[in-house]
Amino acid sequence: MNASNPIPTDYETFRTSIRAFLREALTPELVRAGERTTSVFSDFEAGRRWQSILHAKGWGAPEWPMEHGGTGWDIQQRYIFLEECKLANAPNPVMMGVQMLGPMLMHFGTEAQKTQFLPGIISGDDVWCQGYSEPGSGSDLASLKTTADRDGDEYVVNGTKIWTSMAHHSNWIFCLVRTDKNVKPQAGISFLLIDMATPGITVAPFPSLDGEVEQCQVFFENVRVPAINLLGEENQGWTVAKYLLEFERGGQHFTIELKKQLGKLQGALANPNSRAVDDPTYAYRVAETEIDVMALEQTELRIKGSLSAGDNPGALSSLVKVSGTELGQRCAELLIEAAGQSAMPWQSEVLAPDYTGDTAAPAESVTTMAEYINSRATTIYGGTAEIQRGIIAKHVLGL
Amino acid sequence: MSGHMTEDQTLLQDAAERYLRDSYDFNQRRGRIAEGVYSDPNQWQAFAEMGWLALPVAEEFGGLGMGVREMAMLAELCGQFLVTEPLIDALAATHAIIGVGLQQESLLPRVAEGELIPVAAIDEAETASRLTPATTLTYTDEGWHLSGAKHWISAGASATHLTVLALSADGLAWVLVPTAADGVECERFPTHDGRGGMNCRFDLLLEADHILLQGQPASDALEAYRALAMTLSSAETLGATQAALDTTVDYTKQRVQFGQPLASFQALQHRMSNMLIQTELTRSLIYAACNAADSGRDDAARFARAAKVKATTVGRKVSQEAIQLHGGIATTDEYIVGHFFKRITALESWVCSKGEALKEFMALSPS
Repeated sequence: MNASNPIPTDYETFRTSIRAFLREALTPELVRAGERTTSVFSDFEAGRRWQSILHAKGWGAPEWPMEHGGTGWDIQQRYIFLEECKLANAPNPVMMGVQMLGPMLMHFGTEAQKTQFLPGIISGDDVWCQGYSEPGSGSDLASLKTTADRDGDEYVVNGTKIWTSMAHHSNWIFCLVRTDKNVKPQAGISFLLIDMATPGITVAPFPSLDGEVEQCQVFFENVRVPAINLLGEENQGWTVAKYLLEFERGGQHFTIELKKQLGKLQGALANPNSRAVDDPTYAYRVAETEIDVMALEQTELRIKGSLSAGDNPGALSSLVKVSGTELGQRCAELLIEAAGQSAMPWQSEVLAPDYTGDTAAPAESVTTMAEYINSRATTIYGGTAEIQRGIIAKHVLGL
Repeated sequence: MSGHMTEDQTLLQDAAERYLRDSYDFNQRRGRIAEGVYSDPNQWQAFAEMGWLALPVAEEFGGLGMGVREMAMLAELCGQFLVTEPLIDALAATHAIIGVGLQQESLLPRVAEGELIPVAAIDEAETASRLTPATTLTYTDEGWHLSGAKHWISAGASATHLTVLALSADGLAWVLVPTAADGVECERFPTHDGRGGMNCRFDLLLEADHILLQGQPASDALEAYRALAMTLSSAETLGATQAALDTTVDYTKQRVQFGQPLASFQALQHRMSNMLIQTELTRSLIYAACNAADSGRDDAARFARAAKVKATTVGRKVSQEAIQLHGGIATTDEYIVGHFFKRITALESWVCSKGEALKEFMALSPS
């Protein structure tokens, strides 16, 4: 237990009960899927299985209000739950539905939309992907060009979305689309919920640098979407999306993962076959990284404290995102240095949760290169580090 | 998001900030330092009257019995307002050394009233003898004899008394030496941070009641002093760092070049965002170090080292950036931002360096 964050005994009881559940519920395959996770996504089927197990236990969406299936846990309990899941190597379910769309639906959705969509999200029966970025619209999201033209009770959608993670596994997509071209960019955007089985949708998956397929481009050609699938008012999509982006940034606890990385760095220092052994600077760099993680953890606790007190951390979530992702990258760099050539074998099949054969790389290096490669994306997605710095400059420093 | 404060802490913070804002003028400070006045007796008296010097003094001895968090609040303000009086020095020596010594009952009220200004003297000319001093305390036929020399005593020029670390037959010892006593030769010198340093040579007999601590209690007090001083120096660095950042943000909003304020250039905006990110991270760690110390946790010593490493790294970077983003004006003596830079640089090596703190942090690894 981390002594910097003393937790009352009843939290310890809570933690014990979570641990007991995880010991019981996590099969060896699920744990392997968790261990061999190299990005924010675990093996898709393993993640989906885990979501249905959590849902059966009543823990499918701990952060949601109880009326929609939430647990009623406080912030500290939710943190403990996430921490224990991570320590036990539980796989990550695809989280766009629970973490991102769910809160939006509760905030902006009609009763009919909530009834239709929330149960499928929490059970994991529906898999949602996020259709925001386009080939020509990355950081400048408001310039997006995918159009939705009203035709009776329907919208007709045309255009393309990219960086649509897990679209090839999804049956629904939430999209930002242009519904008015004659106003300033932000004012002409709407938020649509689209069934992926609708005629006219094509999904083209493509491999990332690590050779794995998580990303897709999605094409829309005269896709007819019922107008009742509009979330929020027409042309209010930007407001909906901004709420979502804030949720995405504020809802992350980087230090849980970073502390796990620090454990691996200590492992590298203790491993006689690691390249860290003959590097006189390595232990010092690990120690400085640990101190930076301590500072981030204390900052996350400060933000959590202000959330508990009902304040909105606002732009400070940008601070945590920049620092958390850059520290994750630093850990990944240190690990690739320690692993050296032993991290170079590429053996895609070892990432499958049911793989029990030999690995070309030593056990501690099997995912090191993929994690290093994928760490580069963390300062790009969810608003680049440059966008975050811009937010801080504008909203905190008033520049 | 200033970190949770109790009502008492908020009152202390607000009153102290108001006082320094109204009564600690930068130009006045500059003028008096130029005349060799490093410590203003009126200021010290005011500090005493506001109870600052009694902060760490136990209530049974007439003090406020407050903790590290409150001392760090004052340290932060010292950084922000560039206080040259030896406040963090006296607080650390009082809390960690005098407050646990045998003469606490007679000495603490004198500290609280501002009459006795204590500064710890640890460093010697040779690095090797810093923590195992060459300065000796020996018992002779005539009594306790102190012999040796201490160097680079920050703010030593403002001290009435030194708490001197010496080696005795029983191990380490802390003794209280009035700087005006016979057998004490002091050389005072101006310093770049405006505080006035001092080197001292000792060859004198001490009354028994000047021996504060000996043996294991003296070693324990050394560790307590170092940990507290690391935390307070980090807090003062934080205050100066935040002030350097604030000054920079204000300046770049006003300074117009190429027909627009400097603050409108993205290359500068992102650098200032980095300064803010790192300053806030440092703040979190320092407050955590205070809380660890105040709740007597096992990892308090480790947190103090972590705070020192982080504050030193960030203070250096932010104050260098502050100068660069200002441009030429920041390199003049009459402009304030370079003075934050100088004080931060002086604090970097006070008590220990970043590298020394990092080494100690690693040695204190949790089992």
